[in-house]
Amino acid sequence: MKRIMIVDDEENIRFLYKEELEEDGFMVELAKNGQEALEKLSLFKPDLITLDIKMPGMDGIETLKRIRETERHLPIIMCSAYGEYKQDFTTWASDAYVVKCADLTELKTTIRKLLGLL
Amino acid sequence: MAAHPDPYDLLKSIIHLSTSSIPIEAKLDGMLQILSDALESDRCLLLKPDKIGKNGFLSHLASEKKPLWVDEGSSFNKEGVLSEEKDLLCPSFACIPLYDETAFQGFLYIAFSKSRRFSTQETNLILLIAKEMEEAIRNAHLHRKAEQTISELIALQEMGKAVTSTLKLRELFELILVTGLKILKAKGGALRVEDRRTGELEVKCSLGEYHLNPLDEKIARRVFHTRTPLSLHHSSEEKPSLSILCAPFLSKGKSFGTLTFYDKEANLPKFDERDFQLLLTMANQMSCAIENALVHYETSEMAREHEKRVKQLSTLWELNKALLTTVNFERIVHMMLTAITIGDGLGFNRAMLFMVNEKKHILEGTLAVGPDSAEEAGRIWTTLSQRKENLSDLIAQIQLFPETNSILNSIVKGIQIPLEQEECILSRTVLEGRPFNIRFPYSEEGWLQIHCERGCSLGSEVGCYASEHLSRNPKVYSFATVPLWGKGKVIGVILVDNLYNQNPVTDGDIQFLTMFTNQAGLAIENTILYRNLEEVHRELKETQALLVHQEKMVALGELSTHIAHEIKNPLVSIGGFARRLDRAIPDESQEKRYTETIIKEVGRLEKILDDIHTYTHDESLAFKEWDLRDILEESVSMVSEGFHGGGIQIVKQFAEEPPKVRGDYHQLKEAFSNLISNAYQAMDGKGTLSIRIHPISKNGSSFIRVEVQDTGNGIDPENLHNIFNPFYSTKDARLGLGLPIVHKIILSHRGQIEVDNHPGKGVTFIITLPVQQPSPPPLAPVLRPDQIGTTEDGGGDSGEGERPKNSP
Repeated sequence: MKRIMIVDDEENIRFLYKEELEEDGFMVELAKNGQEALEKLSLFKPDLITLDIKMPGMDGIETLKRIRETERHLPIIMCSAYGEYKQDFTTWASDAYVVKCADLTELKTTIRKLLGLL
Repeated sequence: MAAHPDPYDLLKSIIHLSTSSIPIEAKLDGMLQILSDALESDRCLLLKPDKIGKNGFLSHLASEKKPLWVDEGSSFNKEGVLSEEKDLLCPSFACIPLYDETAFQGFLYIAFSKSRRFSTQETNLILLIAKEMEEAIRNAHLHRKAEQTISELIALQEMGKAVTSTLKLRELFELILVTGLKILKAKGGALRVEDRRTGELEVKCSLGEYHLNPLDEKIARRVFHTRTPLSLHHSSEEKPSLSILCAPFLSKGKSFGTLTFYDKEANLPKFDERDFQLLLTMANQMSCAIENALVHYETSEMAREHEKRVKQLSTLWELNKALLTTVNFERIVHMMLTAITIGDGLGFNRAMLFMVNEKKHILEGTLAVGPDSAEEAGRIWTTLSQRKENLSDLIAQIQLFPETNSILNSIVKGIQIPLEQEECILSRTVLEGRPFNIRFPYSEEGWLQIHCERGCSLGSEVGCYASEHLSRNPKVYSFATVPLWGKGKVIGVILVDNLYNQNPVTDGDIQFLTMFTNQAGLAIENTILYRNLEEVHRELKETQALLVHQEKMVALGELSTHIAHEIKNPLVSIGGFARRLDRAIPDESQEKRYTETIIKEVGRLEKILDDIHTYTHDESLAFKEWDLRDILEESVSMVSEGFHGGGIQIVKQFAEEPPKVRGDYHQLKEAFSNLISNAYQAMDGKGTLSIRIHPISKNGSSFIRVEVQDTGNGIDPENLHNIFNPFYSTKDARLGLGLPIVHKIILSHRGQIEVDNHPGKGVTFIITLPVQQPSPPPLAPVLRPDQIGTTEDGGGDSGEGERPKNSP
């Protein structure tokens, strides 16, 4: 079973993603900010991380850099409400950029693609 | 000897005769008769001086002034007696010379056929009668002289009266000449006066045709210049004799004219001294009158001139006042042309304005004012003359009706004349900056053909069109052009003509027009400046409005970004859970519709939010034209600041003026900075960094090629496949995130990146960018492994033209 870590400051988003992804058969771990994500990284050992960009405290971009320092091959999907960070070079170190949407189809497809499930 | 009558009775009858009012000839005849009867003489005569031959005994006697008595016993020397005098030599005779105060008047001659003696009584009687005859002759002379003088005085008085009765020069000249002619009884005359401007003598009035004689003109000039009167009798055998009297008109020692009379109205057409004196008197008297009349004439001319000037000035003032009431260009030019054509203004029939277009270097027809036909002209003038309005009222109406739709106006508006067409009178007016006043005699074939090689549109259209209206014969068309001066330069040309009434355009008209157009030119210049000012002002206002709008948009953008972010997350939750609910609810249940509605509506909201976001954040790259030399210079200086290694030599080989590249400045700078930074790191503080830029051509398209070459150790061939893979890990420090970013940026600019790798010697990165890029490329795609040119398993085969060149 593939392990996915959801990093998002919005509780309801975390809840939604967890419900959906668990339903799809993934093991899901939640983190409410970058700091928590980094702490849980070594314990949970995820196969993939979804990373919200705008978060209080350590934001998604900073978190991406930190994770990349150790985990060069871990697939990371950047998530944000809009596409404004697509031009930001710093997000280019991630594997994908998904704009948040009530319809989770794009997110799920990207996850499967990156995990080699498709 | 006969009985002597009573001497008393004799003397009585003589005195009676002498005091009677009968003519002198009858008196003298009567006296001779009485004497003859009394002495019973055979002959008793009065010998007139003109009957006495020269050098005869009679003339001798006359000079001696002594009476001669030849009687019985006295001897008479017959020597010196002329043949015609011989029959006077009777046996006894007496000759008594008669004198009045000055002149010899003849002899009283009394003769007897028989020799006899003159008694003392007889001698005394004869001498007494001779004395009486002298007296009678003198009286008669005096009487005639007095009568003549009186008549002359009356004539002169009449002349004096007449000349003071008029100050009209023509009448005065005529009066002088006619009266002079009457007084002098001359056959002809001429009066000349000097023209003050030319100094030439002009015949002002003449009677007869004597003044046509060239001799007359010569004499008049001589008299005029010498200021000396002249009396001349010219007689020759071939020509009839000519008698001339000429006197100058003198005033303060200067002559200003001459008065000449010719040929006396008498048997002998010769003027005498008296006539000459009379002429001098007349000339003297008349000088004053003529001078007065001349001064009066000049004064009234001057006054008329001044009146005209004052009228012009007040017209100008009125017109200028009107011109100052507006800064609207169209209105002001219309007012100007109307002022030129209005009767109380400058009074031309038609006026046309051509403005200089400096950009196109042409003259453009701007406006024309004037009637289209003679009938219309007549109608307008009649209406205007009935209105009796003053100029300012009329101009007020000009302001009210600024539109004109005449045929002439539409013709003129279509005219464009190149300024270099020097043959055209309009162009010449601009080039030479002076007015032209031109008259064209009528000719059937296109009579307003201005001498233009290319054929002037003015000549072909306005002229031919106008020719129909010329009615007067011979047909003469005159027009004038006047330059319109702005501040120091000609800004246009005004063409005026008098097509309908065919009045000639005088130099005075042109002068007045020029005075007016000089003022109008400034007014027009002002309106142009004002129009420009207005334009600039409007542009500024528009820019300001745009700025305000942009500022608003920025504020709105910030606000909406904030709101959009706040709303988006809850919306995603709502929508997400609604979908979960939707899946849990059976298709046929009522609740299914609720969840579907929620999903649909959330979708709509998301769409709205995305639209707002897109609108406020223009995410497209700022693609502009850039000179790569600038970008590379900037990149080099930025990178070199970060490295302290002075051992790095930088060699730049830039083409001069390489073609520009369309792209995003920051992205391109990021790409080249990365390459340069990598090169610095590879050389570890010592080596040569070469940067080259040159344009190349490939498959018919233009590209620009940038090479960044270092003298480091090159890249390990094992790693070469993966250098653009962001996830490829190597010990080589520079193979971090830098190269994948460079790769991504160059791809997004539709360029290529190549690597010329020489392990141990160095590496060259070669970037090729297209020069012509008509439209910006689509947004940089999201960087995903499947899109990266060189992936772990792809081996650099999926990139858009990126071909890493492996060194052997």
